[in-house]
Amino acid sequence: MRFLTDKPAVEPASVLYRRCTVDLKNGDMQMGEVPCLNLEDVLGGFGRSFQLLEKREICDAYVDENPLIVNVGLLTGSHVMTGMRTYFSGYSPIKGSRKGLPAAMWSAGSGKFGAKLKWTGLDEIIFENRSDQPVYMVIREGNDGPVVELKPAVHLLGLTTHEKIMSLQKEYDDAHFAVIGPAGENWQNVYAGAVALSTENQLKSKEDKSRFAGRGGMGSLMGYKNVLALVAQSNDKLGSTPEPVKKANVNVIKGGGSARLQPIKRGGGGGTWAAYEVLQAFHAVPVNNFRPQGNDIPERLFRSRVEKSYEIKSEACYRCGITCHNNIYKRKEDGSAGEFLAKFDYEPLNLLGTNLGLHETEQAAALIHLCDNYGMDAITVGVTVAYVLSYNERHPQTPILNGITFGDFDGIRRLVELTGQGKAPEIGRGSMRLSVDLGETGYAYHVKGLELAAYQPETNPGYIWAIAGGHMSMGTYGMLAREGKTDTKSWVEAITQDKLQIVGFDMIGLCKFFDIVKGIGTAMVVDCLKAEHGVIVTEQELKDAVKRAFLRGMALEFRQGYDKDEFCLPAEVTESPNPNIKMPMLTTPEFLAELNEKVWEVFDREMQELL
Amino acid sequence: MKVAVKLYAVLRCGRFKEKFLDYPSGTTVGDVITDLKLPPEHVDILLVNDTHVDFEHLLEENDVLSLLPMVEGG
Ligand code: SF4
Repeated sequence: MRFLTDKPAVEPASVLYRRCTVDLKNGDMQMGEVPCLNLEDVLGGFGRSFQLLEKREICDAYVDENPLIVNVGLLTGSHVMTGMRTYFSGYSPIKGSRKGLPAAMWSAGSGKFGAKLKWTGLDEIIFENRSDQPVYMVIREGNDGPVVELKPAVHLLGLTTHEKIMSLQKEYDDAHFAVIGPAGENWQNVYAGAVALSTENQLKSKEDKSRFAGRGGMGSLMGYKNVLALVAQSNDKLGSTPEPVKKANVNVIKGGGSARLQPIKRGGGGGTWAAYEVLQAFHAVPVNNFRPQGNDIPERLFRSRVEKSYEIKSEACYRCGITCHNNIYKRKEDGSAGEFLAKFDYEPLNLLGTNLGLHETEQAAALIHLCDNYGMDAITVGVTVAYVLSYNERHPQTPILNGITFGDFDGIRRLVELTGQGKAPEIGRGSMRLSVDLGETGYAYHVKGLELAAYQPETNPGYIWAIAGGHMSMGTYGMLAREGKTDTKSWVEAITQDKLQIVGFDMIGLCKFFDIVKGIGTAMVVDCLKAEHGVIVTEQELKDAVKRAFLRGMALEFRQGYDKDEFCLPAEVTESPNPNIKMPMLTTPEFLAELNEKVWEVFDREMQELL
Repeated sequence: MKVAVKLYAVLRCGRFKEKFLDYPSGTTVGDVITDLKLPPEHVDILLVNDTHVDFEHLLEENDVLSLLPMVEGG
């Protein structure tokens, strides 16, 4: 990025970012500096990519006109803690309207690839068209700026995400990698392909510890384009940390920021896994396709149970003190850590464990490992498999997919493997399509075609207005448990004002864990931007930019054919209320009708100019 | 007065799961948190008899106080 102004909100055109547009059909590349249009363009991520996507009319995700946009945020590769994010945007194979049009989507991941990409001097790559041969791209720093090259990738075909990274690491020193797995290569039958991003820990330990940009099938879009991997090669570019950033980083670690996500032995809360215990207190941990039973079955995957038999190591991305990864290892006889099994985050652990009727550590770990290595979104795969299991429970005489049932680990594992190999399109294409084919849409736990994260929809009507998946683009998922708010006024305010601010993290290059409650419109972020780039922006300017980007995303949903009645929770939630959840029942038809009316009153007005 | 205190997740570490404790009348939820030396940055959800309350809430005989950390996604 080049700043010719210190007031990017006022003079965005005086901020230039470096973009490379690659025509995969003929290998042509255009490198250039692009002036920004507004503050969201300056911030980056989906704030910028959606402005390009809204210019395209795309009727199918798998057409050459659908670009894959890979970019970073303004603080990616900076000294600011968690500044590791890479974003992948395009029209999604998996999220789409009932009319059959694909929705615009982005997906974000940590690991070190994003920082390396930024350090090559490139801020954005746009892949146009598709290559007729498998290729990978190398981006490296040259004497006069970034140098980009496409290379044949036949040797990478069929390798898992981890194998691809290990293979590329042998060829490229001082580089990091973004790769797809077999799932993305089988894009025709797997719409839920993820992109794996290498971590320092992975390159050192040789264990499969990638981070993932999982949601929305951006790995499948990359597979369609026949791009199997990206390599960013550059020296690390971090000198000493500016004082204001040091202060912010300490605040993230010690202050309100994200102390709860740090390792327990450092006085933290132990990462997102702790959500199991909190939600179980309300019997709100998803069990057997989002139907908690009011019993103690979820406790079998509590951390306190797992650590009796397994080693748990708290590990982190490069230079991140939050250390939110909980990596599970077999325990050797001498008590030390043995074979690495998987990383336990709340969502994949629940959706590939308890929500499938699986309660053994190694079973959940095996499925997480499979999704990671095939390169599939654990949320879409887990929720779609759960749908199949619940279908078979309702139809014992006419089951599908070999009649697998809740708890049938071998059957489920086989199905996940087949999905990753492109041999189970029923799962690979997601729960929306499968449920329509089977004529039982009410039990499919998705909103607008994107599967729900592991929070019961009964506790989170905010899912309806999330623009890129429930827990990453609408921060209302813990609101009922945390605040016990049951009045529409509080929910309308949260959905239309505060909790949508969570998407700011998918613009600026930071993890949500930097400050999940307050978002990016804070003095802490203002100070960091000044210290890192010498720019002056206000908290309000940041909040306004985030709001505009969010509204643009929602307007794009309507442009892609969504009707307002598609903004809804799975029908089972209202038609068959679950009596076991020990929280006030929010999702009554009356409450939802009132909420709908009031939320749309606000969003309709605010979106007017964008529609 | 007797109050049942339930702790969840990390708040249990080195403490207990559930205990009946004696406090003088006029004790608030915040007083119990201080008494148990719970790190305030980890105490996020405060329930008395399954209803959300704040730190200043006055406890009564036989109340069940549940203290939980925050729910985070990711
Ligand atoms: S918060 Fe977690 S995922 Fe984000 S950079 Fe830190 S260790 Fe990585």
